[in-house]
Amino acid sequence: MTAGTATAERGGSLAAALGEIVGARHVRTALPERVTFARDGLPTHRHVPGVVVLPGSRDEVVAVVRLLAALGVPFVPRGAGTGLSGGALADDDAVLIVLTRLNRILAIDPVNRIAVVEPGVVNVRLSAAAAPHGLYYSPDPSSQTACTIGGNVAENAGGPHCLKYGVTATHVLGLEVVLADGQVVELGSPGGEPWGPDLVGLFVGSEGNFGIATRIRVRLLPVPRAIRTLLADFSALRTAGEAVSAVIASGIVPAALEMMDQSCINAVEDSVYAAGYPRDAAAVLLVELDGCREEAVAADADTIAGILRAHGARGVLSAADAKQRERLWQGRKKAFGAMGRLSRDLVVQDAVVPRSTLPDVLEAIGRIATAYGLTVSNVFHAGDGNLHPNISFDGRVPGLKARVDQASGEIMAVCIAAGGTITGEHGIGLDKLRYMPLIFDGDALAAMRAVRLVFDPLERVNPGKVVPIHACREWSGVRTHPGREPGDPRAGARGELSELAR
Amino acid sequence: MSWVDRVRALLGDDAVDVAATPDGVPRVAPGSPDAVALLLGTAREEGWRVRVEGAGTWLPVDAPADLALTTRRLDKVPAIEPQDLSATAEAGIACDLLRQQLADRGTWLALDPPGLAGRTLGSVVATATAGPLRHGFGPVRDHLLGVTFVTGDGRLVQSGGRVMKNVAGYDLTKLAAGGFGAFGVIVLVHLRLRALPRADQTLVLEGSREDLAQVAEDIAAAAVQPAAHELMSPALARRERWLLAVRFAGSAALVSAEEGALRAATGGRFTALRADEAHALWMRAAESFATRPVTFRVGALPDSSDELMDLLQHQVGDEWISASPGIGAIRWGGETTVDRLRRLRRTLAGLEVPLTLERAPWPVRAAVGHFGAYREGVGPLVAGLRRTFDPGEAFVVAVEGTE
Amino acid sequence: MTERGGFEGLDSCVHCGFCLQACPTFLATGDESDSPRGRIELMRALETGELAPADPGVALHLDRCLGCRGCEPVCPSGVSYGRGLEAARALLTERRGVPPLVRAALGALTGADVSRFVYAVARLLRASGLPRRLAAWNRLGFAMGMLAATAPKVGGGRRRSVEVGRGAPHSNLHHPAPSSTTSPVLLFRGCVMEGLFSHVHDATIRTLQVNGYEIREVPAQVCCGALHAHAGLRDEARRLAQTNVAAFGDDDTPIVVNSAGCGAMLKEYGHLVDTPAKGRAFAARVRDVSELLAERGPRPGAPLDMTVAYDPPCHLLHAQRIAEPPERMLRAIPVMRVISMPDAAQCCGSAGLFTLVEPAMSRAVLAPKLASLAEARPQVVATGNPGCLMQLGAGLAAAGVPATVRHPVELLDESYRGAGYYA
Ligand SMILES: Cc1cc2nc3c(=O)[nH]c(=O)nc-3n(C[C@H](O)[C@H](O)[C@H](O)COP(=O)(O)OP(=O)(O)OC[C@H]3O[C@@H](n4cnc5c(N)ncnc54)[C@H](O)[C@@H]3O)c2cc1C
Ligand SMILES: Cc1cc2nc3c(=O)[nH]c(=O)nc-3n(C[C@H](O)[C@H](O)[C@H](O)COP(=O)(O)OP(=O)(O)OC[C@H]3O[C@@H](n4cnc5c(N)ncnc54)[C@H](O)[C@@H]3O)c2cc1C
Ligand code: SF4
Ligand code: SF4
Repeated sequence: MTAGTATAERGGSLAAALGEIVGARHVRTALPERVTFARDGLPTHRHVPGVVVLPGSRDEVVAVVRLLAALGVPFVPRGAGTGLSGGALADDDAVLIVLTRLNRILAIDPVNRIAVVEPGVVNVRLSAAAAPHGLYYSPDPSSQTACTIGGNVAENAGGPHCLKYGVTATHVLGLEVVLADGQVVELGSPGGEPWGPDLVGLFVGSEGNFGIATRIRVRLLPVPRAIRTLLADFSALRTAGEAVSAVIASGIVPAALEMMDQSCINAVEDSVYAAGYPRDAAAVLLVELDGCREEAVAADADTIAGILRAHGARGVLSAADAKQRERLWQGRKKAFGAMGRLSRDLVVQDAVVPRSTLPDVLEAIGRIATAYGLTVSNVFHAGDGNLHPNISFDGRVPGLKARVDQASGEIMAVCIAAGGTITGEHGIGLDKLRYMPLIFDGDALAAMRAVRLVFDPLERVNPGKVVPIHACREWSGVRTHPGREPGDPRAGARGELSELAR
Repeated sequence: MSWVDRVRALLGDDAVDVAATPDGVPRVAPGSPDAVALLLGTAREEGWRVRVEGAGTWLPVDAPADLALTTRRLDKVPAIEPQDLSATAEAGIACDLLRQQLADRGTWLALDPPGLAGRTLGSVVATATAGPLRHGFGPVRDHLLGVTFVTGDGRLVQSGGRVMKNVAGYDLTKLAAGGFGAFGVIVLVHLRLRALPRADQTLVLEGSREDLAQVAEDIAAAAVQPAAHELMSPALARRERWLLAVRFAGSAALVSAEEGALRAATGGRFTALRADEAHALWMRAAESFATRPVTFRVGALPDSSDELMDLLQHQVGDEWISASPGIGAIRWGGETTVDRLRRLRRTLAGLEVPLTLERAPWPVRAAVGHFGAYREGVGPLVAGLRRTFDPGEAFVVAVEGTE
Repeated sequence: MTERGGFEGLDSCVHCGFCLQACPTFLATGDESDSPRGRIELMRALETGELAPADPGVALHLDRCLGCRGCEPVCPSGVSYGRGLEAARALLTERRGVPPLVRAALGALTGADVSRFVYAVARLLRASGLPRRLAAWNRLGFAMGMLAATAPKVGGGRRRSVEVGRGAPHSNLHHPAPSSTTSPVLLFRGCVMEGLFSHVHDATIRTLQVNGYEIREVPAQVCCGALHAHAGLRDEARRLAQTNVAAFGDDDTPIVVNSAGCGAMLKEYGHLVDTPAKGRAFAARVRDVSELLAERGPRPGAPLDMTVAYDPPCHLLHAQRIAEPPERMLRAIPVMRVISMPDAAQCCGSAGLFTLVEPAMSRAVLAPKLASLAEARPQVVATGNPGCLMQLGAGLAAAGVPATVRHPVELLDESYRGAGYYA
């Protein structure tokens, strides 16, 4: 008997009960099927879920969550699985609730510039649907052609254009949330004003620990009428970093300000998304200016081009038309995906540093890469100081992964020392748990855990993520639920799905 | 040992000012975040009831308490980084002082909250009171990179950081912003700044409310993007009729282009104000709210702004109103009763519009609460969060009313 | 063939997920197991032995792959999904053999002798007009719809086919170009195309001639082997490939194909035949008919007053990356309106034998396309692949959408006829 059939039998009755809710076709118990859900966009983590269920409506989500609550089974929400912190992974004792089938755009209100969507709507599809009204959904993670808005909400996703327009949290007005016990609450208000304390703001970025967002109300923005996209190339990483600070200090807020280094440029240029970036540049900056007034945007673009040249740009190219602009952006957005060309394995980091420290931090990263003999490629949201050093390696080489982890740790230490943080948009998930105590003390961590317990007293939603429990100081306000105590019968129920089947 | 002696022993002699408050509640002014933590830790052990004060200019200092904790000695600005467009300031700094220090370094905090100029930064964050600039630059939370606060049992909790983006852990900053002090005393704030605008131009148009509402719609339809776009009642604007004030801030090219677009969209009916006139207009409008006993805000869909103003006019009068119709935000000031406020909140809740009581004398606050008429299931979450951050109920805050 | 049989093409996958939304089966089920990324995971596990080819969970999801390769052109890392899939299917087939239905279909459609009989019967049936009336969603109805879709529409001309599978390479059978500057090309006829779409071959010959090509027949050619390779029958596919390589000789005369599926397969011969260099040289000569026509303009014809939705076959757009030439070809027809459908780049669910062996998934994949066609209401849906012509034709008929399916060269042919080029 293979492991797959074994688990199928063990979780059999649970699977049957789930099947009654969502239809048997939408419950996955065979090992190969569960294996395909074992990773997200950061494939270095692998956890095979106990059961996978794909509900088709909000009501089905509620029914599934209530069933799991009654049985005391932990669960993990999952969108498209493009997360980069191992957030959407479940262990054998948990059920993975996949939300891709909840993919309807429920309403677009062009007058108030608001859309209401189900969580499985793919980011870019909302903008496409809003386009006929001259509107778009502004947060544009590079993964926007794949990731879901539910996942964006859970991670508080950013993107190149968040420099000017703000990250996901800025654009979410209200949420319908299914809590761990199956209760449905509506957070926020139709216009976006918090109704009581800002629970919408608190939920955004909670990485699936506070419940499942089943309806999301977001703000749409008018499509800018005037756009200028500049590509500046530099012969040294350091000068490119300095140019970033100069642009920021100029007072003109670009819509986006992105940097790519040489190794990244080459990976993109080798791919179907080749954008015509100069391969001999040590780094390029992609700067976009937009607005509603052609003349103002043009003037600002000239000013910025001047600043870039004054700070060492060899050349500044302005995209001639929409087609070239699209190509320049596609290259940037697909850069991470193109990293597979460098080596078969990849780790990516997500530190944010004060923008003025970019030149020094980039140099330090380069030194660490050399010291460990690793290839580090940088492609990142420079305008926000949000670094994404990618380390490419071949995991089959013995001992290499350990070296990569060590180098990662050192890079993180450099960023923290510069006054930075450990993640700007990818979230903590599993991957960055070990860094949390480096930036938060025991009280802050305990406060976070205590907040989570308000939403999910048994810590059953996406267990084991975000807050490293061992590092939390004791929190007097927290009444740990009896379910978490060893003697409790329900504590045992968490062990394996096998128990539940009987 | 009396508690005053205990506090003196903890924080030093100069931290306590016994006879200072009008209602005789002894006032303690800790000089550092750690001192705040120490004080609140002790308060928790002793069961003292604490009210928090900033400069005392916004909420009346009238809540019944054993001691008043004022943040006025937390007035340092440890960092202003023009290269990064960020700053770190303690919560007790007066907004006008902070604004000056930022301007000296070429930077700007794009917030213009109602109230007096000497209002503390902490109070603005705690009450999440944004002014007309909310139209172009968003609510208070959009200006915060991180916040450090002290819980009711004396723990210092940091959230966020000082960098532009941060998703490490849950975003407790969002709780501090607009929590009305129910979750802790804010001691330190990391701010997102903008470069001081090179150009700043305000234009105004007087008219009936109905006419101006139409003009406001035209402006939105023409995709004019002002920093502020505020409809003010005659009393507030000190004019004969209602006033639509539009403010542009940014590069010279941007401001002149937007101004041109505004004139094109509205047939050139707006009058440009001189810098001193504009300053006076916005300043007066902000300060007026500090002179009314009650202030609240409502947030609705933009296209219902007009109906809401009718409703307000009908139920509580519309003498002191400042509205951003483009984003559906309305601030109301004036005199009214507990019953009227309760009724209004219920009516609005039926329309899915929340009413947040910003300012009122303690008896009104205590009865009506800053928040109320929640949607189903929200109340227990708020209660759970309060228990978490203030387990001994040390803070005297009227989060929800007594209805 | 490479040491790892094609699995190495999957190595560069970094699990980014960019391919998910390009995959018709993922769009139909929302299930990672039905996505390229999920299938890569399965294939990797197959290669390492972590999962067994006998595991039904593996087979189910690999069988449900259309092989449309919509996932390839969107992949920033250049994953060779199609090659990995063939390797995986070869493993599966090695293990479980070929399912009887596939075996029967392969025999009927490509078997040298059986197929001749099958096609003859099919043409008779088609001529009766019965299939058109029986077209429906159920299995039989759909099959009838598919057959009906193969019928020539207007001015089909007389059957002018040659016996395939016999004779010497470069037989002197050829169709000279009328103009003085002529370039010779060799016509690849295939099996289904030859059996049911000979009118498309005729149109191909005529339109190429008008554009200065001289078409030569290669009687010794055989089926391209695509259906075999997709079914995991690598050895059979290889035998067919070697026969074709030999049949077409080793000069550099271009080989013209009007079936996207065959074209894609012929271009892969380098990975398949025993002497890869020969296979690559052969592959380099293979050109889709639209490429050849586009190179010469093509010459404009007479106006056709109709609205056409162009639906690029996956094996043209994704596998061969040919997007522009068919559009240029259609633009050579004055007045005709070519509308672009938002989901045109997505597979129609035909995918060779897929429509027969995975009917449920196939129809699910077809459904959104039909819905948008029903809304756009073109008179003609044009696509350059026999499977797609049949799938779309059957779907349109079953859904009651009044549009006919045509190969783009048929439209050009009609336009040329109107212009009097054939007089
Ligand atoms: C190539 C590439 C580029 C990327 N670029 C960016 C970028 O520029 N900016 C950026 O911010 N991120 C980026 N990411 C990361 C990733 O795309 C985002 O984190 C995205 O928001 C994840 O969405 P998802 O639907 O894939 O969520 P998943 O990965 O499925 O899930 C992520 C987390 O959200 C939770 N979750 C999912 N849906 C819900 C829900 N409805 N309710 C509650 N919790 C839920 C899960 O439990 C999990 O913890 C990139 C990823 C890749 C692969
Ligand atoms: C936890 C708490 C409970 C309070 N409860 C009451 C009460 O019940 N009754 C009452 O009349 N006043 C209360 N106050 C406010 C305070 O008593 C006065 O209103 C204040 O002195 C007015 O000073 P200001 O001009 O700087 O702006 P403020 O008017 O000081 O501030 C307005 C609001 O901001 C809040 N605030 C100011 N600084 C901070 C800070 N650093 N951290 C957190 N919140 C801050 C206060 O909650 C106050 O409600 C409370 C304040 C806090 C923090
Ligand atoms: S797009 Fe390419 S690299 Fe990304 S998951 Fe798909 S196959 Fe893998
Ligand atoms: S070949 Fe087509 S069906 Fe198969 S995985 Fe790729 S896109 Fe999906």
